[in-house]
Amino acid sequence: MLTEDRNNLFGHALKAVNAGVVLLDENQKIVFWNNWMERHSFISEEDALDKTLPEISPDLQSVRLLTAIRQALANRLPSILSQTLNKSPLPLFASQEEAGKSIRMQQAIQVLPIQTSPESHYCMIQVTDVSAAVNRESILRQQAVELRSKAHVDGLTGIANRRRFDEHGEESFRHAKRNGTTMSLILIDIDFFKLYNDTYGHQQGDYCLIEVATALSDEVRRPFDLVARYGGEEFVVVLPETDAEGAMHIACRMRAHVESLGIQHAKPNKVNTVTISLGVAMFDPSKRAISFNELINRADHALYKAKHSGRNQIVLHEESENEESSSAI
Amino acid sequence: MFDLTELQYDALSEIFNIGVGHAASALSDILNEEMRMSVPRISFQNRANLASKLCNGENRRICGVRQSFEGAIFNTDAMLMFPEEKSLEIVRLMVGGSLSMQELTEMEQEAMSEIGNIILNACVGVLADMLKQDIQSSLPSYHIGNSDELLSSYGDHADDIVLILHIDIALEKHEIEGHVAFILDMSTIQDLRPHLDQYITEMIG
Repeated sequence: MLTEDRNNLFGHALKAVNAGVVLLDENQKIVFWNNWMERHSFISEEDALDKTLPEISPDLQSVRLLTAIRQALANRLPSILSQTLNKSPLPLFASQEEAGKSIRMQQAIQVLPIQTSPESHYCMIQVTDVSAAVNRESILRQQAVELRSKAHVDGLTGIANRRRFDEHGEESFRHAKRNGTTMSLILIDIDFFKLYNDTYGHQQGDYCLIEVATALSDEVRRPFDLVARYGGEEFVVVLPETDAEGAMHIACRMRAHVESLGIQHAKPNKVNTVTISLGVAMFDPSKRAISFNELINRADHALYKAKHSGRNQIVLHEESENEESSSAI
Repeated sequence: MFDLTELQYDALSEIFNIGVGHAASALSDILNEEMRMSVPRISFQNRANLASKLCNGENRRICGVRQSFEGAIFNTDAMLMFPEEKSLEIVRLMVGGSLSMQELTEMEQEAMSEIGNIILNACVGVLADMLKQDIQSSLPSYHIGNSDELLSSYGDHADDIVLILHIDIALEKHEIEGHVAFILDMSTIQDLRPHLDQYITEMIG
């Protein structure tokens, strides 16, 4: 094949490449603009030739692209422009419709020095459409966010799970310690739940858990308060910046709310509906330093007392006398 | 092993500081936020004990962006390196991604390659100016692995000398430390000397 024919062939091949190819001379004037560029910029090669990029695209936003072109022509160093760091520098569009809405194509750009002889410097700009990859990643991200939030939700009741409590509780505790603020915990247990399950069946048991969880959640409103499922029929409430009085107030409302649900439960104490027992403990940073686990133990101990003094009541752990005072209802 | 005079050493440090200064301003433009970058020190290492030096004996994963440079007297493989968790930090600071995925995604790797490309081009660009010679380069490529794996991709000329730039990057309230390694053969280093002397003479006037 003759050299001339070969060059002619290469020119045509470059024209047909399914990616954007632009060649600039040393004055940054366009000397080649392939079919793909025509198709996605809606600018014909004829209109592009002999102009610089800012001339055909007055709103060329990318200082970086112009620097990369200068660097390729003057220093012969190649550059890449990633889609992530450069939001669509060139006015390219996937379709006429998107062009109408000014939605630019997501682009990855390479700027390469081309030297045909020691004196002649050119620069080639190669553009690829990375919209598909960008979309793929945004889906991936969404799914990761969803997975992450699912990992913190109790599958049955839809409230926070134990793992979320472990993280949020610990975090709130550290926060209280650092800032010298109080914090309270409430541990809650459904009274005679095993009996309920045995009497009414597991499906009805699940329904009962969902109803109670929802009732408890309704009673906390501040963004950092948290109601979580602690285990089987046990729940836990984290109340940052709340003293014993505030926690008792919320506990009372929770107890009353669950009782008012009126879920039928023929059980061996006075009330014939589902009720809960609650243990409340407060962390006061001005008193003796305790760990988060100790705080949980105190609430657990108070709950134990509530259960053993007849259930359907609230017990507050009192630190000063190292004894619990019971406020049976 | 290999000695530069104190003056040559200072001149080389200055050249690279000018280089990363250019890179920092280019990155600041992209980010619309000030990024500072400096080369507090440079050092020469034997190829053989580079790997252990870079990771303090720990076998942690390193993320690298590599370019090969070729000129009449300056031939080198250059690699910008960060510990993997630091590269996650840099990219996410720069692109504002909040999601803590364990590895850089495909698009984030592209972004990391561009950051490396900007820093390496800037360093070598200033060097080319000093040498008054053209230096050609490959496009950047992204690599991840422990330091042995990364360095073995360079081939295994054990007597090669590695010029290490310690790079400090400051962005928002974060300080990130990375390295650029230039793998050089002996003849390149010998050739570099007279050019450094000439640069010094011009500087002093």
